[in-house]
Amino acid sequence: MARCAAFRAWGLALACMLGWGCAAAEGATQDRNVLVLYSNNRLVPGNIAVDRGLRDGLMADRPVQIFSEFLDRPEFGGATYESAVTTYLRDKYAARPPQVVVAVNDDALDFLLYRHDSLFPGVPLVYAVASRAFLQALPQRPADLFGVPMEYDFAGTIEQALQWHAPARQLLIVTGASERDRQWEARLRREAPAVAGGVPVEFISAAALPLLQQRLAGLGSDTVVFTPGFYRDGDGRLFSPRDAAALVAAAANAPVYGPFDTFIGTGVVGGRMPGFEAMGRQAAAIVGALLAGKAPDAAGLPPIAPTAWRVDWRALQRWGIDERRLPADARIFFREPSFWQAYGHWVIAALAVIALQSALIAKLLLEQRRRRAAELAVQGQRAELAHASRLAVAGELTASIAHEINQPLGAILASADAAELLLQSGADRRDDLLRIVTRIRRDDLRASDVIQRLRSLLAKHKPERQRFDLNVALADVATLLSGQARQRQVVLDIRPAREGAFIDGDAVQIQQVLINLLLNAMDAVADRPEARRVVSLALEPQADRAVITVRDRGPGIAAEHLPRLFDSFFSTKHKGMGLGLSIARTIVEAHGGRIRAESGPGEGALFHVELPTREHVLATAPPPI
Amino acid sequence: MNPSALIHVVDDDASLRESLLDLLHAAGFEARGYASTGEFLLDPLPDRPGCVLLDVRLPGPSGLELQAALRRQGVALPVVFMTGHADVSSSVRAMKAGAVDFLEKPVGRETLFDALQLALARDAAQRAHRAEAQRHERRLAVLTGREREVFDRVVAGRLNKQIADELGISLRTVKAHRALVMEKLGVVNAAELGRFAAGRG
Repeated sequence: MARCAAFRAWGLALACMLGWGCAAAEGATQDRNVLVLYSNNRLVPGNIAVDRGLRDGLMADRPVQIFSEFLDRPEFGGATYESAVTTYLRDKYAARPPQVVVAVNDDALDFLLYRHDSLFPGVPLVYAVASRAFLQALPQRPADLFGVPMEYDFAGTIEQALQWHAPARQLLIVTGASERDRQWEARLRREAPAVAGGVPVEFISAAALPLLQQRLAGLGSDTVVFTPGFYRDGDGRLFSPRDAAALVAAAANAPVYGPFDTFIGTGVVGGRMPGFEAMGRQAAAIVGALLAGKAPDAAGLPPIAPTAWRVDWRALQRWGIDERRLPADARIFFREPSFWQAYGHWVIAALAVIALQSALIAKLLLEQRRRRAAELAVQGQRAELAHASRLAVAGELTASIAHEINQPLGAILASADAAELLLQSGADRRDDLLRIVTRIRRDDLRASDVIQRLRSLLAKHKPERQRFDLNVALADVATLLSGQARQRQVVLDIRPAREGAFIDGDAVQIQQVLINLLLNAMDAVADRPEARRVVSLALEPQADRAVITVRDRGPGIAAEHLPRLFDSFFSTKHKGMGLGLSIARTIVEAHGGRIRAESGPGEGALFHVELPTREHVLATAPPPI
Repeated sequence: MNPSALIHVVDDDASLRESLLDLLHAAGFEARGYASTGEFLLDPLPDRPGCVLLDVRLPGPSGLELQAALRRQGVALPVVFMTGHADVSSSVRAMKAGAVDFLEKPVGRETLFDALQLALARDAAQRAHRAEAQRHERRLAVLTGREREVFDRVVAGRLNKQIADELGISLRTVKAHRALVMEKLGVVNAAELGRFAAGRG
């Protein structure tokens, strides 16, 4: 390029510029104009990012008018065009002369350096996004030229990319057909092989887009693609580098890297690069200093625009690059929030609701368990009570039952003595001995029978549900109470059913009920004359139930006592606890039956116990006691 | 054993009653069983040495009631009680009423036989006593009315004069009756007469 001649006047201009700048700062604070000339189209994303950085950086300072102009390279060029632009800029900004001019990118800087004296004599020139190579190539740098050079780190990007995708089969570099594209291609041809580390490097340069896309689609994921984008393809179609990179990334079936931060979001994985917005800010800092009449603080600015890895998180995921392998200063864009990040509050809310519900459910379960435990405890207490009541009854019966056992024991003893004497006598009394021994066995069985019945009544047993014959239970009761009846001189008239009356339930508990009713009845007739000391019990099976009637010929039950007869702790006896009938009712009802009492004046009392004999009725609930 | 003794067993428990009868028979006793008080009373009671082995608790009238009834009827058979559950009041009542023993069931053989022997011995003594008394009675029967009056008063320790005053007869007459009484009864002096009277029981 032929622009070197322009720089002779810069040394002179610097002093004037500084002095003028100071005067301007003092005098015309309201009128601060900064002209920014961009190399490319106004919509090139890099330009927009630089503009944002510039405006952000300057807005903090003071009111500054920022005017933006665009060279529209590489679409437009040539002497005529440059001349027209020069005229346009000079005429346009005659009315609003800029105090600082900013050149963005190499083309704009080149343009301005070449025409500075004719366009904006004495106005300091600040550059941004100017490559170090370009600046180094300047034969002489004007004194009023300020800025932070930058360098697209093609090599660093390629080197890192190949590391991440090792072992890569191929490095494919895509460049375009424009002059700038050719410059990049040339640079890449220089730099790439050095960092490829033996990976074959292939270039697709200035290919027509469809052809390029076709090539890219055929790649394997073991290929790493690098492209700085391009402005023009082989067919002469124009692109912004970003658009070109987007097309490359969309077409390629391989990871695509690029050196510009504007590529982030196009599908490109990323690259090591300076940030355009950051470079805009750096320029803004210099502009601000100049506007304030100060020399830009070279120490406060980096010697070169810092580069950092910028990566698209989604592309990292797609190509399986572990985030931990990124350099520490890497900036990650488009990180999709994790499920937790995205829905954390919902999750927390849901968890809270679930926890609350769980707590509620747990509490309900606990309550239910407690209630069940309480029910069991009540049942246990009832069973205890029933057992205690049986014990009490047994205590009452002890004397008579001892008699029942003593009788056969006495008989056995006498028989044994008799047998012994007969044997001692030596006489042949075989028949007598046989008769005696037979009787001994019979008496022994009789005694053990009584004991067994008593034991079954007294044993602390778990309520059971079995089908049993009421007649058998009745016989047991008769045995247990016969002694008592004799002792009390009461006639006990027990009439079983003609045939078995089977019910489902607990035989001991039913016996307890019957014994209770019979003892009550015996109590009732205790003071009666002998003829009326009769207690009768009859069992009559009916269609679906067994009816047991206990009748005495005592004084009967007072009408006012009848309703409370089965209540707990209701008793008309001096020694009574008032639990017998209450327990009896509990037992009968637990067997699905009913118990009731009736009594007419002077007629004695009549107790009806009805127990269902149908199996399905009894299958409902187990007796709680 | 006294072969002619008869033991009456009253117990409502058939099995026990039969066992006892077997035992007594094996031991050489004659024994007879009754299931109740009534059965015993209805059975003609032979005039034989013996005793009653009686259960306290019986259907209907109890053993104690039977004991009382026998006393009232002058049946002097000694009673041995048996009971399944001895209580103090009935045992005291039985013993006061003259029971020989109060046995608790089950009764051991030795205990039973001891009690029965005792009862039979008492019965024998009573019988001997009663025979002696009857013999005296028979001898006293030879006395005339007046002689008997004098005899009664002599053995009661009255002086002749007092007897004469009480009966309104003369002292001589009293002395004459007294000599006749002593002659008829075969005693020689007042001391023997006193022993005779005492032996009547």
